[in-house]
Amino acid sequence: MPETSVECGTASVVAARQLTRYYGRRLGVDAVDLDISEGEIFGFLGPNGSGKTTTIRLLLGFLRPTSGRASILGWDCWRQSAALKREVGYLPGDLRLYPWMTARGALRIAGAIRGIDLTAAGRDLSDRFELEMDLRVRTMSRGTRQKLGLVLAMAHKPRLLILDEPTNGLDPLMQDTLATCLRELASAGHTILFSSHTLSEVELLCDRIAVVRSGRIVANEPLETLRNRARRTVKLLFTNEHAAARTDVPHFLTRVSCAGRTWACELDGPSQPLVRWAAQQPLEDLEIGPPDLESLFRKFYRSPEGGA
Amino acid sequence: MRGLLLKTLHEVWLPTVLVGIALMIVKAVLTHILPQVLEGASQLLEQLPLVKTLVNALLGTEVGDQITARTMQAVLWVHPVVLALIWGHEISFCTRLPAGEIDRGTVDILLSWPVSRRLVYVSESIVWLLSGMFLIGMGLLGHRLTAPTMPDDMRPDLGSATLVMLNLFCVYLAVGGIAFLVSACSDRRGRAVAVVFALLLASFLLTFLAQFWDPAKHIAFLSIMEHYQPAKILGSGRLPWADVLVLLVVGAVTWLCGCEIVARRSICTR
Repeated sequence: MPETSVECGTASVVAARQLTRYYGRRLGVDAVDLDISEGEIFGFLGPNGSGKTTTIRLLLGFLRPTSGRASILGWDCWRQSAALKREVGYLPGDLRLYPWMTARGALRIAGAIRGIDLTAAGRDLSDRFELEMDLRVRTMSRGTRQKLGLVLAMAHKPRLLILDEPTNGLDPLMQDTLATCLRELASAGHTILFSSHTLSEVELLCDRIAVVRSGRIVANEPLETLRNRARRTVKLLFTNEHAAARTDVPHFLTRVSCAGRTWACELDGPSQPLVRWAAQQPLEDLEIGPPDLESLFRKFYRSPEGGA
Repeated sequence: MRGLLLKTLHEVWLPTVLVGIALMIVKAVLTHILPQVLEGASQLLEQLPLVKTLVNALLGTEVGDQITARTMQAVLWVHPVVLALIWGHEISFCTRLPAGEIDRGTVDILLSWPVSRRLVYVSESIVWLLSGMFLIGMGLLGHRLTAPTMPDDMRPDLGSATLVMLNLFCVYLAVGGIAFLVSACSDRRGRAVAVVFALLLASFLLTFLAQFWDPAKHIAFLSIMEHYQPAKILGSGRLPWADVLVLLVVGAVTWLCGCEIVARRSICTR
């Protein structure tokens, strides 16, 4: 039976409290708090070596936490690791499969271990990922091995799918197929933890994002909130150079450059104050770019305090 | 459990069958050439005392000036090629989990399946035990195949041979238990293999030194080889229960320690 040892929100599929892991004297992750709700696609973003994989290994019970606790569906991640994996599918970041395996053989073995017949579901997924069922791992390309890893992770329709950098080695078409599969799973109520160091793929899929840097979570917010926090580029075209030179820069804008009657600026926060302000200015044109999440995340990655 | 057994069997059946066949052939050949070797053996031992010490160490008992046909039968079970085949296969097998799985990076997939680490360890151990029975059985088969070519007074009886096999299987259990324990503490298979090999070598050297160096005699009981007594079994027709018990205890304790370490330690690919 699940222990419900970690106090968490009522619908939390994953809950971690002050989860810490040291490798000897080297810090792996420090005081990680996480709550992932059912049906959520949760992005876990961070640069290489930031602690994403360590957190995942703690959640799967591969590593014993130095302190803190974590649970999945109420099962304690360390003490009840075997039981919780019935409900979990996992794709390792550095996937290495048994060289003698074929997709068919792997599904037979995984099915025997899980006590369910995975043949039909595995065949469907293999068709979607255009994976040959009888090709041996030792003869597979990197991308094909990644497809087999995805099939094995998803074939039993887990309640929680943990994917560590799943698009490694996949071509753009297969990345689209994966995104479609993940959206279908999420809409059916399955929860997905999607770890990556690439913002674009996380931005495309995830409802909420946690950013991890140097073993610490420096942001954990819905994507929409992060978008609102991200700067936007703004281009203002004044009616004449004199008007451009005479106008004061409002507090919510940062002027990057001024060339003739054109200002290039960055906008902090929502766009309504800008629109209100612009209506009263001698402007000929106004361009507001999309939120620049990339630069926001670069700040998260670099800033020692993680503030942006 | 069935899935895990399937996976392990899939990986080990071919090398096990090959080593089994090799063992059968070696035992058949050794049994066949035994009478010819016996003719010149006494003279050789007199000329080369070091060889006599080596044979004493291998047999675990003092060989008289006149080597007997019965003693020579014991050589069949302690021949270095026979031991090398059995131990080589065993060390390679028992260091598969977790050291081998970590080394080749497959442990993440193995541990992502809903099975406890103890169950993985037990399923691996079941196949190890079956492999041991198969290998030693193949050795006996080879021995029995060519035994009819021996002179009547040298032909071994099945009962004594079976007791020697039992003693050898106890050695197999002890060596395997140690190998499982070393593997449980290691992340690198090569290192685990080297440590177990060094322990076996040290064990043999200790038995060897104990033949002529008094200080070594006092600690010779620490050697696994000291508890393998084919010559005594063939001489008396009885199992050396004390030695068998020591081997079983060593095997059981080290295997259990290995199991607990695997269950409690952090395991993932490097």
